[in-house]
Amino acid sequence: MMVLVVGGSGSGKSSYAEKMAVSLAQAGMRKYYLATMQVFDDEGRKKVDRHRKLRNGKGFFTIEQPVRISSALEKMEDGDRAVLLECISNLTANEMFSEKKAMTEIQVTENVIRDIKMLKEQTNHLVVVSNNVFEDGITYDETTTKYIRAMGKINQKLAALADRVVEVVEGIPVIIK
Amino acid sequence: MKLIIGGTAQGKLEYVLLKYDVQKNMVWDGVLPNDRKLNKNIVVINHFHQWVKSRMVSGGCPEDEIMSFLDCNEDCIIICDEIGNGIVPIDPFEREYRERTGRILVQLAMRAEEVERIICGIGQKIK
Repeated sequence: MMVLVVGGSGSGKSSYAEKMAVSLAQAGMRKYYLATMQVFDDEGRKKVDRHRKLRNGKGFFTIEQPVRISSALEKMEDGDRAVLLECISNLTANEMFSEKKAMTEIQVTENVIRDIKMLKEQTNHLVVVSNNVFEDGITYDETTTKYIRAMGKINQKLAALADRVVEVVEGIPVIIK
Repeated sequence: MKLIIGGTAQGKLEYVLLKYDVQKNMVWDGVLPNDRKLNKNIVVINHFHQWVKSRMVSGGCPEDEIMSFLDCNEDCIIICDEIGNGIVPIDPFEREYRERTGRILVQLAMRAEEVERIICGIGQKIK
């Protein structure tokens, strides 16, 4: 089963996605948390700490994988597994801007979707967290606009791949699919 | 307490005024009433996000302040813009403002007896 969880800043999407991953994982299934955020400063460290605390005691193995998310599969042990991937907005930004020349939205969409298809095929349950970055009414520069468009395309494709899509609004799950 | 959320200019206040038959003079705009116990009238807090921002600017603690306000005014209606559905801002204050407002709203939604999201003037009950 694949579940896509979307939401805005501070919406409670991470906490919901974790509960979902824990509830999907049956006994004996390994739980993996794929972390995509690259930490550059104190604020980033605080965010990581906050998420670590949330996950504490829930039995997740954390794999840091800021780009090429399917490589995380090589770091997993054989057997049944439930995977929580957080989050598509960081992954997309990392993929798009890690080289000197920014990747096009088509390229980045293809890369991310190809990787997630691989993850989906090789896991029993996959929970993917993505961001709603589409509703602030601001017209951004060209680079950011490309990023937003890539995120939009990726979210649409992920929703098509997913068995269930949930939007988290102020901590409340709203079922989209 | 009822929580009403939604994007800007979606008709949230009009929706509330019509649905709950609230007096316009009971609408507080971006502030909490000082008088903690306002007899039996339903109090509406409009533009709640602006109140959060102003408390942050003044170095207050909006998380605690709103909870103690609710302890005395359990029947109020809180209207707030959805501000978290965008690109994470470069400005640290703006980032913190979105994050804290979101987390306060999660707490309010847990406490609320009802949560409605307004889109195009139409209310969607999500709790």
